[in-house]
Amino acid sequence: MNSSILLLRPGLLSFKNSINKDVILKRLPFIIIGIIFWILFYIATYKVLSYVRGIEFFGELISKKLFSMIFFSLTGFLILSNIITAISSFYLSRDIPFLLSIPVEIKDILNLKSVETIMNSSWMVISFIPPVFIAYGTIYKAPLSYYIFTAATFIPFIFITAGTGILIAHVLTRLFPAKRVRDVLLAIGLLLFLGLYFVLRSITPLDTGTPEGFISSIMTFRINSHILPGYWITEAIFPVLKNRDTDLFYIAILLSNGAFLFMLSVLIGERLYRRNLERIQPAGKGFNKGLLQDFYPNYKSAILWKDTKIFFRDTGQWSQLFIIGALMMVYIYNFKTIPVKAISGLLPYIKELMVLINMVMTGLVLSAVSARFLYSSVSLEGEAFWIIRASPVVLKKFLWSKLLYGSIPVSVVIVALVFITNIVMDVTGLLMFLSVGTALMLCISISGLGTGLGAMYPKFKYENIASVSMNLGGIAFMLIAFTVVLLTVLLEAWPVYLYHRATLIGHNMNMLEKVQSVLCAGLIVIINVIAFYLPMRMGIKRLEKD
Amino acid sequence: MITLDNIGKSFGGEWAVRRLSIAINDGEVFGLLGPNAAGKTTTIKMMTGLLRPTEGRILIRGYDIVKEPIKAKSIIGYVPDRAFFYEKLTGREFLLFIASIHGLGKIEALSRIEELINTFGIKDIENELIESYSQGMRQRLLFASSMVHNPEVFIIDEPFVSIDPSGMRRLKGVIKDLSSVGTTIFLATHSLHIAEELCNRVGVINKGYLIALKNRDEITSIEGGLEGLFDELLYLTP
Repeated sequence: MNSSILLLRPGLLSFKNSINKDVILKRLPFIIIGIIFWILFYIATYKVLSYVRGIEFFGELISKKLFSMIFFSLTGFLILSNIITAISSFYLSRDIPFLLSIPVEIKDILNLKSVETIMNSSWMVISFIPPVFIAYGTIYKAPLSYYIFTAATFIPFIFITAGTGILIAHVLTRLFPAKRVRDVLLAIGLLLFLGLYFVLRSITPLDTGTPEGFISSIMTFRINSHILPGYWITEAIFPVLKNRDTDLFYIAILLSNGAFLFMLSVLIGERLYRRNLERIQPAGKGFNKGLLQDFYPNYKSAILWKDTKIFFRDTGQWSQLFIIGALMMVYIYNFKTIPVKAISGLLPYIKELMVLINMVMTGLVLSAVSARFLYSSVSLEGEAFWIIRASPVVLKKFLWSKLLYGSIPVSVVIVALVFITNIVMDVTGLLMFLSVGTALMLCISISGLGTGLGAMYPKFKYENIASVSMNLGGIAFMLIAFTVVLLTVLLEAWPVYLYHRATLIGHNMNMLEKVQSVLCAGLIVIINVIAFYLPMRMGIKRLEKD
Repeated sequence: MITLDNIGKSFGGEWAVRRLSIAINDGEVFGLLGPNAAGKTTTIKMMTGLLRPTEGRILIRGYDIVKEPIKAKSIIGYVPDRAFFYEKLTGREFLLFIASIHGLGKIEALSRIEELINTFGIKDIENELIESYSQGMRQRLLFASSMVHNPEVFIIDEPFVSIDPSGMRRLKGVIKDLSSVGTTIFLATHSLHIAEELCNRVGVINKGYLIALKNRDEITSIEGGLEGLFDELLYLTP
């Protein structure tokens, strides 16, 4: 049997052995949550698309532009994700010494690691994006072939981004004479920021002062450059969406580029991998004593102290910060370029709408960041968890320490994100207060949800920490977290609307409206308290078991 | 004193340990012997609170490990058979962490850590990340960490794995010293000559059941010593 396929067998067999009737029954609630999430996501996308297509003269064009913008964003996200995952998978995984010790070709190891990288970096997109395409299909009344065609076109697209990401990971690890991988990652981070800066500069809208200027600016976004895969895939899929024949030229371009970039990544890997591995061996000697080397933590702060120290020393833990930082930069920039003032003439409530959209989007960022920093925090103990279990540590305190470790930085980042985006949109007063307050509340409840679920479904044996949030509990966390965010924002939208309507007509809210507002506020609090408290409690119970 | 009172542990209906009762006195070195998969590590995991007994109770100097786990764990020093560490901490930081989760004050912790670092010969590498330690050095660090809080009960699973002769000599000395000051020591091992040299009493476990309990005098009276007993119980008995 081909060695590359043989190397995949342990992973496939482990997967097969983990599937049985009990597991499927256990997963059923999560499957249901997943379906609910898809439905909600579908409805939201459908509503937005219906609205956009209804805009006179420009609806069709904006709809297509949004389609290509989705692929433009996906390209960037997947390449970044592949770079980081490839470094973990190719250079930091625990199975590397074993793989190097067995009689297989380096090419086979590279193939195995490429498959791992593709799976680990693309699963989120593959799981979450389908409702968007289904919504497009429904709006355009697309034929069945559209869905099959879109799914098939995604494969070369994934290969293009994976090939590019893996290639960059090999080259960067080679270019930077890093005895410690963190230096390489620091370099990657800087490059990412620079790259993003230039990309953003190149797609800056020209005129955001008037509605006409805004629409024409959207039309002149330079994301549909002919050399970008997002453009190829849009041009390949869009005709099928509209029940016309596809342009085979773009299909050929996608397929050939997918194959070329992937093969190139393997070829470059064959040249660089062995040497790169030798360069990144742990330095061993000469670990400097820090300024705080004599700091002695007390009983209450010991776990927090330990986690913080490990965080800054373990590249695998903080490398994803670069991605998050880059995404946030893009996020704020996007809001900065939305001409709220200009389009407020076209749409009433636009500011309120933008604040709510901002809350939902920030909630999505919060869920993703929490999956990495809160959901994974218990699992981060790894196989060293026996130390905590055998020590006189109250597990409730342990879990609270994990909650603090993740929730403080996550809350600071998310609240700052909401605050800054509000400032760039010129949002002040009650709306500012409400959105920042809601963001803080969501940070706390989602932190509890993440920490608690992470304790309920810990994964102490992992190849790299990024894979922890890929397990059943991780996916459930993402879905539940986003559902909590959606429900909170939806419930908040109603009183905001009532208040704004009353203000516009110059009246106070009547009794019924006040009761509705109080009810909504009460429900928001209940949902968030449950989201925080229940998983934390269940997490502690789970940790106390064998 | 350690009391194992009719304890048992089942996993999915299969008993790994059943009806095990032993009382170990203060200052005694007790060895639990047995072939692979006999139930030694399961017993130790129950004694240290890592697993809950399905039946029976375990008292560590009067504290029930299930009902009063924090009090019991605060007087136990535990050395597992396969130890995993926080690889990105230095050896010294790891010891500081263990001292602080046991509630030691700073002055006491620092002087105790200094003492243990010298005792176990890890002075040269105390400020290196644990990820760069050899297996033997990890084992030394493990012993040092299990003794930071001056445990009254010392539970060791396969104590001399990967340790070089000089480390082994140090460890044997440490175990004898601890026993002489009243520390109760429970060790599980395959190594019969170590058990013969260190233990006041041994128990032999097989397929989850305790099949023999002998003191030093009884062992010396058996032809072939502990090896003879082991053969007789496990291999020669039809």
